[in-house]
Amino acid sequence: MTKSLLEAKNVTKRFGGLVAVNKADMSIEKGRITGLIGPNGAGKTTFFNLLSGFMQPDEGEIVFNGHRINGMRPSNICKLGMTRTFQIVKPFPELTVLENVMIGAFNKTGSTQRAKEIALDVLELVEFSDQAKMSAGALPVAGRKRVEVAKALATKPELLLLDEVLAGLTPTEMQKMIAVLGKVRDAGITIVIVEHVMAVIMSLCDHIVVINNGENIASGNPQEISVNPAVMEAYLGSDFNAQSVIS
Amino acid sequence: MATVYLQALISGILIGGVFSLISVGLTLTFGVMKIKNFAHGDFLIVGMYFAFFCYTLLGIDPYLAAILGLPIFFGLGWIIQKFLIRPVLYAPETIKILVTVGISLCLQNIAVFFFSPDFQTVQVAYGSNTVEFFGARISLTRLAATALAVVVVIGLYQFLMKTRTGRAIRACAEDGDGALAVGIDIDRIYKIALGISTVCVCLAGAMMTPFFYISPTVGLSFTLTAFVVVVLGGLGNLKGALIGGFIIGVVESFGEILMPEAALKQVATFTIFTLILLFRPTGLFGTKLT
Amino acid sequence: MIPQIKISHYIYGLTLLFLLSLPLYAESDFVVAVMPDGLSGSALLHVGILIFMFAYLSSSWNILGGFAGQLSLGHAAFFGIGAYTSSLIYVHTGVSPWIGMIAGAVIAAIVGYGLGFISFKYGLKGPFFALVTIAFAEILRLLFLYFDFTGGPLGLLIPLSSEYTFWEYQFLEKEPYYFIALGLMVFGIIICAIVSSSKFGYYLRAIRESEEAAEALGIHSMHNKMHAVALSAAMTALGGTFYAQYTQYIVPDDVIKIALSIEIILFAVIGGSGLVMGPIIGTFLLVPIGEMSRIVFEGGGAGASLVALINEEIPSGEKFIRYLEYLSSGGGGGLAILLYGVILILVCLALPRGVLPAFHKIGMKREGSS
Repeated sequence: MTKSLLEAKNVTKRFGGLVAVNKADMSIEKGRITGLIGPNGAGKTTFFNLLSGFMQPDEGEIVFNGHRINGMRPSNICKLGMTRTFQIVKPFPELTVLENVMIGAFNKTGSTQRAKEIALDVLELVEFSDQAKMSAGALPVAGRKRVEVAKALATKPELLLLDEVLAGLTPTEMQKMIAVLGKVRDAGITIVIVEHVMAVIMSLCDHIVVINNGENIASGNPQEISVNPAVMEAYLGSDFNAQSVIS
Repeated sequence: MATVYLQALISGILIGGVFSLISVGLTLTFGVMKIKNFAHGDFLIVGMYFAFFCYTLLGIDPYLAAILGLPIFFGLGWIIQKFLIRPVLYAPETIKILVTVGISLCLQNIAVFFFSPDFQTVQVAYGSNTVEFFGARISLTRLAATALAVVVVIGLYQFLMKTRTGRAIRACAEDGDGALAVGIDIDRIYKIALGISTVCVCLAGAMMTPFFYISPTVGLSFTLTAFVVVVLGGLGNLKGALIGGFIIGVVESFGEILMPEAALKQVATFTIFTLILLFRPTGLFGTKLT
Repeated sequence: MIPQIKISHYIYGLTLLFLLSLPLYAESDFVVAVMPDGLSGSALLHVGILIFMFAYLSSSWNILGGFAGQLSLGHAAFFGIGAYTSSLIYVHTGVSPWIGMIAGAVIAAIVGYGLGFISFKYGLKGPFFALVTIAFAEILRLLFLYFDFTGGPLGLLIPLSSEYTFWEYQFLEKEPYYFIALGLMVFGIIICAIVSSSKFGYYLRAIRESEEAAEALGIHSMHNKMHAVALSAAMTALGGTFYAQYTQYIVPDDVIKIALSIEIILFAVIGGSGLVMGPIIGTFLLVPIGEMSRIVFEGGGAGASLVALINEEIPSGEKFIRYLEYLSSGGGGGLAILLYGVILILVCLALPRGVLPAFHKIGMKREGSS
């Protein structure tokens, strides 16, 4: 068995009476793109918040790269090598695109010059160099999503958590972003991605985890998931034929 | 000794009503449009100087002046909302605060320029009348101010609960977008809210003149006290402001006799304030408008 | 940012040269002829000292309020800590205020860390942080008024030294104070420029824009904000020592008053907070306006008592004329601050980022069109 980069065991989060995440397990292997899917309100974003330290789990354990990270600040988790993006993107609106990405780059350097070099490289990777001097607040949705990914990449993470970076994009913009994610994986960065667009998940991911009502109901490769009856019932509705939706 | 404490308790209650009235105005604008008005206390001098000039120039009693001034007080709030607050309602928090700081500087220094920085007083014939209560003295003008303040606050409460406009104001406080969706003219409601807010402070100012000095910078400490009360009572909570006013009045009053020096009474208030902000930011009574 | 020489750098350099040489001809016939009455020689240097000191204080505030976006309305507290620390040390031990100044800065930094810790630990932001800083400054003012060792409401007089040497930080002439104040301002600009282009400065700006996003990128928001309070406080304290040495007399109602905290902010916000030169531009624009209004309306209504006028037995028409005379001689004063207030409101409404970015915009349009 290959060693997993991130291991979540029995993770539970309650909001008052509501159990948002219920005894969820997740194991992320190095070098793969893992998709986290589930219907609206299934607890995907909450799960991301738990992994990245923005929320603390009530029960369970999260181990990243050999460190137990429950209770850690988000900034310390980022320092260990796990960086997230936000579903509702959070650019630094008054700063330029380059400065936005530089702020991420400072995670691994104290030098402004070095941070700038890293930022320019990352902008090259995400094919956004021409917009470097734009004010981040003035960008359209697609640009903001690109900056969101670039900021996270600039922290040089081992594991990248992407929360719906494709939502709201046109098909062309989506194709570009998928190409970028492919390059990121080829650069050796492990990715966990939350996404609604099934076609993308199926084509992009090596491994898929399905959650519903806060519980982990299935995991496996795209082929296994697409024929899994529990997934079809929970996620797509019992009468649905998964294949027809996916293709 | 018991008399000293009774006297402190009574003094605290007597100033507490005034604190309540001032704070109700602050909490209302906070609840309705999330504006933290750092100029709030400075409107006090509008009421004070109005009463002062009515009395010294025209011989009008301060209480009557308070009523005569109502349209002016309301109009002032309306105009300030329309021209100064409305344009920055959706600006960053810092800008919103700084606009009110600017208004504060203007109010204070208009008063300094036109009326000089000197302290003024209104010396009405009944100004020093008192009644005895178990050995403690109660100033009649202070009693009147507190009683009237409570009446005004109750009246305002009824207005918010019973009238159409009042309900619209509450709707805006609950959910601005929702209020907009059901066809409430939010702009107008906001102007009314700031109008009512300035009326509360100006009324308090006018009613204080028989027993309180008037000076251009008198408002500052009341701004701070009002924030203390509003945070204590719960931001945007009217009942909380009413009760909180009395609590802070009594706390200051006891601080005056318990602290090594009377001037340190506000140290007690500010310390409580900081502790509440840190440990119980929703205040004692929650943050709902009523 | 990329260090490149722009037109603005030449302007700043020339301005600095001009300011450095100003004492040489502050009393020349030309200056006396050109400037309004009473604004030459040492009076002119005094205005210069005020400008430099406020420019420096505003720059100090800018690190916390501008870069990090944490609105402190209580910076007078740190100013007071600086003024009192060095002065008390000098009064009691005779140790040079230059040493006392460092002690004041260290104490202010420690107090700043403490204030930052309790505020940020419990998540105070925006108006609530502002309120706590006001409350803190007021508590400090009341305590300084109460305690005996500070001289209480009577204040603290800094004893004249027998010899006026640099080491004693006391001078008979205005010129040394002028150059020290100018030095402080340049020091402030340099610190701000270093912070602005460093990792720390980028992190503060990130926190200002979005604390959550900053945390996600590995920025410990609380630590960085605390460092910002401490640095800003320490710098402000140095200004406090300068003020104490310049006036040779300090009193809590003067050095820890809210009005001072607000003036410090005013210049930064109007010039452009969060920009290195913003506070400097703001101060250089506003202080002269304020001082001019003081000179034009000299004295400000001194001598006339409003109540006496009202009670005087003269016809109302005459009373009114007398009142107009009172106003035209400056009324009760306060015009300078009134102007500041009006300008602050106008800037908030029309140029919320301050005057300097507006200049930049005009400059960029020029460049674009040429």
